[in-house]
This record gives sequence, structure tokens and C-alpha cells, in this order.
Amino acid sequence: MLSPVLLIAIPLGFSFLAPLLKKGAKYIPPIAMLFNLILSILLVPQVMRKPIIVLLGGGWPPPFCINLVASPLGILLALLISLVGFLVSIYAIAYIKEGATEKYHTLYLLLLTGATGIVLTGDIFNLFVFFEILCISSYALVAYNGDKHGLESAVKYLIQGSIGSSFILIGIALLYGLFGTLNMADIANNISYHSLQSPTLYVALAFFITGFGVEGAIFPLNAWLPDAHSSAPSTISAILSGIAIKTGVYAIARVTYTLFSAKGFMIFIATIGIITLLIGEMSALGQKKDIKRMLAYSSIGQIGLIIFAFGIATYYGIFGALFQLVNHALAKSLLFLASGYMIYRVGSKELSAFEGLGKKMPLSSLVFTIGAFSLIGLPPFAGFMSKISIISAGIKANNTALFVFVIIVLFATIIEGCYFFRVVQNLYFKKSRDPAHNCVRDGCPTTQKSEMPISALIPIIILALLIVAIGIYPRLVTGIIESAAIGLMDKVGYIHQILGIF
Amino acid sequence: MRKIISLILLGIVCVGIIFALYSIPFGKDKIKVGKHYIYNGIKETGAVNIVTSVVLNYRGFDTLGEVTILFIAALGLGVVLYGKKKKRKEGLEPASLVLYTGCRFLFPLILLFGAYIFIHGHLTPGGGFQGGAIIASGFLLSYLGCPRKWISKERFNITESLGGLVFVIMGLIGLTIGGYFLSNFLPKGIANTLFSAGIIPILYCAVGFKVGAELAGIIYNMIE
Amino acid sequence: MNFLSNNIYYIGCFGLIFIGLYIVLTKKNLIKVIIGINFIDTGVNLFLITIGYIRGGTAPIFSRPGLNPERMVDPIPQALVLTTIVIGVSVLALALSLAIRLYHHYGTLNLRKIRELKW
Repeated sequence: MLSPVLLIAIPLGFSFLAPLLKKGAKYIPPIAMLFNLILSILLVPQVMRKPIIVLLGGGWPPPFCINLVASPLGILLALLISLVGFLVSIYAIAYIKEGATEKYHTLYLLLLTGATGIVLTGDIFNLFVFFEILCISSYALVAYNGDKHGLESAVKYLIQGSIGSSFILIGIALLYGLFGTLNMADIANNISYHSLQSPTLYVALAFFITGFGVEGAIFPLNAWLPDAHSSAPSTISAILSGIAIKTGVYAIARVTYTLFSAKGFMIFIATIGIITLLIGEMSALGQKKDIKRMLAYSSIGQIGLIIFAFGIATYYGIFGALFQLVNHALAKSLLFLASGYMIYRVGSKELSAFEGLGKKMPLSSLVFTIGAFSLIGLPPFAGFMSKISIISAGIKANNTALFVFVIIVLFATIIEGCYFFRVVQNLYFKKSRDPAHNCVRDGCPTTQKSEMPISALIPIIILALLIVAIGIYPRLVTGIIESAAIGLMDKVGYIHQILGIF
Repeated sequence: MRKIISLILLGIVCVGIIFALYSIPFGKDKIKVGKHYIYNGIKETGAVNIVTSVVLNYRGFDTLGEVTILFIAALGLGVVLYGKKKKRKEGLEPASLVLYTGCRFLFPLILLFGAYIFIHGHLTPGGGFQGGAIIASGFLLSYLGCPRKWISKERFNITESLGGLVFVIMGLIGLTIGGYFLSNFLPKGIANTLFSAGIIPILYCAVGFKVGAELAGIIYNMIE
Repeated sequence: MNFLSNNIYYIGCFGLIFIGLYIVLTKKNLIKVIIGINFIDTGVNLFLITIGYIRGGTAPIFSRPGLNPERMVDPIPQALVLTTIVIGVSVLALALSLAIRLYHHYGTLNLRKIRELKW
């Protein structure tokens, strides 16, 4: 009875229920996400043996109805989504106080449901529908604060995002016109076995990468990201950075590896990734004022790193990419959450306002430092393992261009170190300025300790512990990541599992 | 400058499109899945309208997502427009007698027509979304014509939630009885009669109510 | 002439899409940009329908016996278009509400003036 469809159906049911509950709505997302977390943990052993194919609708064989594919990759990402979603939703109970709160919680749950649907579905149009669920709820949530900046960035995000969606739809229409099917395995089968070398396929691939690239924030299409991430509420920044852009990356990987198996195209993907990495890290270094904007630029850089690792197109590259994806989701949501209450306490987003905060908010500063070190890739933390595996994958690939790219990755790591150490230095090694100097809200900076509320503190401490745990004992996650990477490489197996079940 | 750059971009996309369409000639016959649906649709789902059987049975999961998207739009509108000043209501002028009477006369008829469209969704062109849109247009008329008789937003919210819940619960019942989420567990009946096609009419009624309430709620939010 | 009559639907829908893209890329007024997005949506919907169309096709409804299934158009694109229309409406509603709120804050809908954040 443990069907993976419950991972989508139960949160959807809960979110339809939430408007009826009024004040109780804020407890709905943690409950639903806890359910998802438990269910996906229970599904892990089963999925590791053999991916579960779930038929929906009438239960007819795959090309004729929508199916879900609970492969190790899908379950890994679903687990990640429900874990981060659960922790952030606990944080949000105390953090979201103003505005239409019950609507916030419902939309938040729907955003996560959309993300879960994207990683589980095996039908290209269904993927588009879930993608829209994710995008439209994030447009609304970016504007949640209702201030000038939030609205402006939401409009920007909406314009770019909806053009991206239209592009994806044109790609889907082209594929449908060619093959008369929407099932991803069936399309992949048609492309590989009939070896159809038509320019239509290249154009469709270009449309897909442009469309998903908007959500994944790859280089020329990432103008919306810094604004949207910096002006949304911190919980939403955490989810957008931790989960939403990852689904864009997942979709690009799925389309290039499974659907088109575009081997010759991969070096192009790697180049885009490297450019994105450089642009993101440079902009983050240049960003001295707004800490959330700095974190957002750092997200662009990290996404570039992940896409570069996918572009290596070997097993090790995919392994490193998925590992980095998991680590970045944990670390970046931790950073946004920690900075959320710091900004609230000091009343300003400016980096200089954080001076001496290490004494006032010791725990938050500590976990912020852990997250930052993990992103830089310092040894005892999780980021070290993933970054080292990406670098070794790039060297193992035995390609001159990739070798040059690896050197650029190392250079980008140094840049990353620079701007994160700047924040850490501000936190610990600078005396706090005159409190009245940077006080905007009433009653904020005081000299005594003023930690976050306990319900906000628990999630970020759990996230920090997870980062340390993965760093010390990587076997905690590498098992499932290995089979996920094998599953993504094995296109023939994917097609057989889905089309051959009857 | 901006115009030139955008024209160049469009030109690149245009060349790509022309190449792409070369192998999809216009009016190509349907292949594979579409053909299967046309020939086996009635036997497998019991609905005469094949589009309906695709929407609610073969691709029912998409429709659940679609309903969710409209739900998100209604919620998102509430979030974005939250806290806006509500002073318009008093400023509205009462409508003239002809308009007022006309609206009151037409309103139930429009609702009835919308309900007809979504109840007969598996037999004739139309369905839950179309019917819901018609119902919402009735509410739009009443907002414009009889501004004093506004229906409270609470009821829309409740209808919305119930419609969505019915959809999910029907899916879950299908999962327990039929083994597949959203499977058609009721008898299919005789094709081309009102009580046929199993759960499809029930789902379409839920969708109709939900879409009607959501669009009406969106209109309400926009007018307010 | 034959080319035109064969591809008139394709030309129409991509014409709409390109007009929409041009509007979005060049126009300054937010409302116009939203209209452009709507143009793109409509064009894509038309494209989907066009792909499933066959010459002299009928609606895929067996409303009376004796209808020829060979002549029926593909039902899937029609179902897909139903979904994409709803998505388009949702995005449009959200975009318009954002425009309303932006106008409250800035007093203008000119996108060149609404730029407190860096583009």
C-alpha cells in the first residue's frame, strides 16, 4: 500500500484542506512534509532494489497513461525536498507573522508538492504541469512581503518564467508532433532506436534547455534570481535556493541524459556551467551590501558548478553533481534561514550591520559559519567531499577542456572563500558598532544575547548537524547517490523498466 | 538598439522553428497514442467524448495539477492583494432598474447553463472547466449589475477546498479499490447516456464547482 | 501559393508567438508586456491544436453511431490545450494583480522607471 503516488496526493489533499482550517493552517505543511519524509525513507530500500513504476488513471500500459517513476534519483530528491521542506516549515511557524499567513502556508506546501511531482513523474507534459505549479506558487510567494522590491522582483520573475514555460511547451509540442507520444521513456526509445537525426530534435532540445534554464538560473537567463531571492521572505529564499532551482537542474539533466542522450552536447553544458559559476561567484564577491543578495549570487555559482559536473558526462561527474546538489540544498537553506533572523534582529540586510553578532547570537552565528564553510568546501564538512569528487571526476575524464575547467573551479573556490570569510570575519572579529547607528526597527539591537525563538533554532541546528554528519561519515548518503547516478546514466535500463513491464 | 537586438534574437529562433517544422508537415495523421485513444476510448472508459476521457481518465493526473494551478492563482491573488484598502464598495453607484432586473433574471439561467455544461461533459463538447468559466461569468454579471448583493468570499473558499478534496479523495478511493490512483472504480454503464463513464461525471462536477468558485473568487478579488 | 495554404496555421501561430516575444522584449509598459505574454500563450495553444489537426477532421466525440474514427482529430492536444489555457489564465491573473499593486507603490507602470533593483 506504500505507493509513491501518496508523496504527491497527500500534500495536495492537505493543501486543499488548509483553507478550511484558518488558524490551524500553519501546522499543515509540517504534518504533510513529515508524512512525506517518513514515506520516502520507507521507500528507499525497496527502490534501491528495483525502481517502482506507478501507473495512474486506468492502469493501462505506459505510453497510454501517465506514470510515475520512483527511481533512486527520484526518491533521493523527494527525500531531500521533504527534509528541507519539513525543517523550513517548522522555522516558518514562528517566522511568518504578518500578511495572509494561512495562504502563505498553503502556497508553500503546494510549491513543495510541485517540486516532488517534477522529480517523480515519467511523463513530459505532466512534468510541465508540476513545473508550473512550482513556478506560479513561487511567483506569488516572492511577492509575499508586499513591499516595492518584492513586487518588482516577482514581476521580473513572472515575465521571464512564463516565457520559459512557453518555450518548454513548444518543445513538448514538437516532440509530440514527431512521435505522437508524451511518455518520456517512449520518446527516448523513439529517439535512440529509430536513430532519427532530424533537426527538429535539436531545436526541441534547445527549447527545453532555454525553458528549464530560466528556472535553473543558468547564465544568460538568471537575471531574476538575485532579486527574487533577496526580496522574498527568508524561508522562501531558502526553499527557492535549496529546492526550486534544483528542480530546474534536475529537469535539464533528465532531458539531456534520458530523453535525448545528447553525448556530443555535454561539453556545451559544461561550458555553460563554468560561465555561470564564474559570473555567480564574481557577482557575489562584488556584493558588499546585501547579505541575501550575496547568498543568491553564490547560489548561481553553485548551480553552475552542479551543471558543470553534469556536463562531465561520466559516472563520477554525475555522482559529484548529485552529491553537490544535496549538500548545496542543505547548506544554502541553512544560510538563508540563519540570516533570516539575524536580519530581523539587526534590522538591516547590510553586511556591516552584522559586525559583532557572534557574541549576541552565538548559536546562529555558529551554524551560519558551518554552512558557509561547507559551501566553500572545507574538510570536516559535507561540501568538501562533494567538491573533491567533482574535481577528481573532471581530472579523470581525460579531456583538456575539462581540465582547464577544473582549474577554473578551484579559482572560483578561492573567490567563494573570500566573500564567505568576509562575513565570518564580520560576525566574530569585529566589534559591534554603536547600536543606535544601525537600528531601523524599534527595540531591535540590544547588547544582551537575543537568540532566535526555539522553534526556529531547532531546524537550523538539525541542518547543521546533518552537514557535519555527512562530512564526517559520507556513507550516510553516498549509497543512494551512487545508485541514482547509475540510474541516470542507464538510459536503456530506464526505457526497459517502463515500457517492458507488460 | 534594443529593437535591433531583439529582432536578431527572434530571427535566430525563427530559423530554428522553420527547420523544426520541416519534419512535422501540417495535417499529418495522428499516430500511436492518439489513435489508441480514439479506437479504444469508449471501451476502456465509457465516455463518448474522447477528449473528456483523455482529460479525466488517461491523463487525469494532469487535470489534478491543472485544478491545483487555478487554486494557486486564487491563493496567490489573495497574497498579492492582501491589505489593499477596501473603500470602493461604498462608492459604487446603484445600477439602473433595467440592468438590475436583467441581471437578477439572467443570473440563475447562467448558473443552470454552466451546470448543464459540466454535467454533460462526457457526452457533449464542454466539461468542468468550461462550465466553471460560465458560472464565473454569471457571478461577474451579478457583481457588475447588482453591486449590493455580493456573495461572501468565504463560501467561495469553502467550495474551492471541497471541490479539490473530492478530486483527491476519489483518486485515493480509486487507489484502494482499483489499485491505481484515479482509476475508474464505478460501473461504466451504457455509453452515450447521462449515467455512464463511472467516476468521470463526478470528477467533472467537482472540477466545475471548483473552477466556478475560483474564477469568481479571482474576479471578486480584482474588483474589490 | 501552395506553400502558403499548406502552412497557414503554422505561420499564424508562430506569427502570434513572435509578435508576443517582440512586445515583451521591447515595450516599456507593464500592461503591454503582460499582453505580450498572453499573445505567446495563445500562439503556443494554437500550435498544439494545429499539430493534432487533420484535414477535414471532426471532433473526437462519438455522439451518434456511424461516425468515422479515421476522420477524427487527435484528442490529446485538445486535452493539453485545456490545461495550458488554465495555466495561461492563472499567470495572467497573477500578473495583473502584481501590476495593480506595483501601480499603488510607484504610481506608474513604466518598467524603465520601476527599477529600484538592478536589472
